[in-house]
Amino acid sequence: MTVLDQDRETLPSTRELSPRSIDEAAELLSQLPAESRVHIRGGGTHLGLGYRFEPDVFLSTSGLDRIVAWEPDDLTVVVEAGVTVEELEGTLAEKGQTALLHERPGGGTVGGAIATATSGWRRYRYGPIGDRVLEVTLISSDGRVVTGGGRLVKNVTGYDLPRLATGSLGSLGLIARVCFKLWPLTVKSATVRVASAEDALARAYRPMAVLETDEGTSVFLGGTRAEIEGQAIALAGSLTDGLEWPDPPGGRIRFSVRVPPSHLRSIVQRFDPEWKYVAQFGVGEVTVGTDQALAAELGELRMAAESAGGALVLLDATDYLRQEFDPWGTPPASLPIQQRIVGLFDPGRMLNPGILPGRL
Amino acid sequence: MIEQLEHDLREGLGTEKVFSDPLDLHIYGKDAGLTRGESNLIVFPTTTDDVVTLVRLASKHEVAVIARGSGTGLAGGVVATGEALLMVTSRMNRIEEVDVENRMVWVQPGVINQDLSNHTAPLNLYFVPDPSSQSVCTIGGNVGNNAGGLHCLAEGTTVNHVLGLEIVTADGERVILGGPSPDPIGLDLRSVMVGSEGTLGVVTKVLVKLTPDPPAVRTLMLAFAGVEDAAATVSGIIAGGLIPGALEMMDQGMIQAVERFAHAGFPTDAGALLIAEVSGHPSAVDAEADLIRRVAESHSATLIHIAVDEEERKRIWLGRKSAFGAIAQMNPDYYLHDTVVPRTRLVEIIKEVYLIGERHGIPMLNVFHAGDGNLHPLMTFDASQPGILDRVHAAGDDLIKACVAVGGSLSGEHGIGLEKRDYMPLIFDEVGLDAQARLREAFDPEGRLNPGKILPEGSRCFDFGRPPPVGAWI
Repeated sequence: MTVLDQDRETLPSTRELSPRSIDEAAELLSQLPAESRVHIRGGGTHLGLGYRFEPDVFLSTSGLDRIVAWEPDDLTVVVEAGVTVEELEGTLAEKGQTALLHERPGGGTVGGAIATATSGWRRYRYGPIGDRVLEVTLISSDGRVVTGGGRLVKNVTGYDLPRLATGSLGSLGLIARVCFKLWPLTVKSATVRVASAEDALARAYRPMAVLETDEGTSVFLGGTRAEIEGQAIALAGSLTDGLEWPDPPGGRIRFSVRVPPSHLRSIVQRFDPEWKYVAQFGVGEVTVGTDQALAAELGELRMAAESAGGALVLLDATDYLRQEFDPWGTPPASLPIQQRIVGLFDPGRMLNPGILPGRL
Repeated sequence: MIEQLEHDLREGLGTEKVFSDPLDLHIYGKDAGLTRGESNLIVFPTTTDDVVTLVRLASKHEVAVIARGSGTGLAGGVVATGEALLMVTSRMNRIEEVDVENRMVWVQPGVINQDLSNHTAPLNLYFVPDPSSQSVCTIGGNVGNNAGGLHCLAEGTTVNHVLGLEIVTADGERVILGGPSPDPIGLDLRSVMVGSEGTLGVVTKVLVKLTPDPPAVRTLMLAFAGVEDAAATVSGIIAGGLIPGALEMMDQGMIQAVERFAHAGFPTDAGALLIAEVSGHPSAVDAEADLIRRVAESHSATLIHIAVDEEERKRIWLGRKSAFGAIAQMNPDYYLHDTVVPRTRLVEIIKEVYLIGERHGIPMLNVFHAGDGNLHPLMTFDASQPGILDRVHAAGDDLIKACVAVGGSLSGEHGIGLEKRDYMPLIFDEVGLDAQARLREAFDPEGRLNPGKILPEGSRCFDFGRPPPVGAWI
């Protein structure tokens, strides 16, 4: 008789699991009944993503909270999924390093960042989060511990499970541990207020980010003092020391529009003047927050994004909007392959079932 | 079966695209590695439709499909292990119109790496991955192996520069993975396809990301008495908060071989040479070059030289890229190895490389991407000597095990192919190999695409789902 069998009599129908180690997580998963529907939860910052399902087990990664191995000289860190982005980045900063995770994580965890493929705003210069996930350890729904990739900054040994897991929303396995490639923090950093994002992109050489919000536009620079001063002169804007990142847009309805970079302006121009947004120029993504949006207007926006080869993804929505508006939009052309992958990794569809595009 | 397939292919694609002459099969029977294995037919498609046709016909006749670019791979990744059709991409070499605003362009897989950067040079854009073989290797091959090169330390390997792919699936369907927008929804199959060595699908078009030419570049040549000082300099640069565009090292044997061949101006009396390059904003590169110079001085550099002009810069890099050509002056054959270790273990592994060479009586020369711990020991030999290939293989075996012992892995940029396939269990346990086999099965359930590569036989070793309940009769 297992622990869970004993508990079955006494616990309410929805159980909460909070394993303290990878072995314990594997053990718990292996003992769950095959028809379980497990909701994996990190910091709870992306709970609105994807299709909804009725879980009967909640699995929190909060007990997987160790920074396992940090090798500053090799530019790698191995960290468990439940460590918060804030804690990891705070630790790395002590030796002048960063995993380039999101600048405003709001309680988000490392595992959540990988599961949702949440890149920081510095991606214009450093690329998306997937470029830095070197190794991943997944726990399958039947409790097998699968490691892919390696703790090396350059490696082509085997299929790229780390990138497969990045953005998988936990549907292939519980993301339990990862290894990141690290970068040095720049010696100096500065924020330059400018009038036009497009103009700034043309004038600056590979800034960290060019962000336009409903309140204004800023260019984020990092490098040597001379470089920052040189770039600021070219940008002809007002310079402040340090990186003054905007607040992520809030609201009961939040969504992200992703388009080829040159289409971003035409997307932003369609916005309701009441909407709050942060648009990443040069990248082609804008995150929007509002308390009110109609399915019809989002539908038009989605059509514009999809016809440009992009997408509109709901990050959070009212129940009412969810009934009328699909969280993902048109599924990718590779859906049959994605379906087979999910089916082979989690045959019983126990982990975050049906959450992905195509209800996989 | 093969005869019927050949007949159908000649009918479906035109007879000028299909070859089965024994000489052709022999010529295309290997890549730049050591293993040989001839296919039964060679097809030169020109369009995606051609590829759809050939994949469907091969499937109908139950023959494997191996996609091949220029054959510069070193791991036997395009060598046939059984009945197979070899699809060569060299006639699929069209570059579509460059999207200058979004800095991207669709290209066919047979486009030569260097031709792409030459094509986009007037727009001040280039394709970052620059393997030493870039004047002959193809973009499709770069995608297949997730090729790196001399400048991937700061800018990443091929996967960081591929935005989208058009593939033909194992059952002959044309599918687009990824695309011009960031973060396409669903699983990231585009990234998984890069580096999969043609085992998950046949790549027929690649949407590559182009990078603006840096406004300023400084290339430094640093000489040291030995590899220890050079490696310590690399560590010091990275500890100083700088990730240069490139950090390339050569040992004495390699410096001398290259200098005799390429006359790049390398100091032949040096024990080790480090080539460092920084690029970026004009006001940044001088400060960065200065940091490198100071670190090199503190580790007793015997020469610190900054390339004075573009011509000298090109000469230095040509010298570095000529390393393998230079070897031909020493011995008729060479075997270039590719392993990777945590960067801080480089010095101890280099010493081990020399010991392994001595033990097997094989001269070892070293070039390596020092910044990211990627070794390329080069074994030189004369294949006509009896028993020599066994010694080369034994030395390679020792090398791989030594790298794995210090936390390294099998390949940094050349792939696993056939030659390293059976070492995979050194890195992954059976559960890990099984997961990789599942991924492959999802793309290619029948095992028709480049079979026998990457995963050792029997990798798919677990049954579905959960164990039977305790006490069940099975």
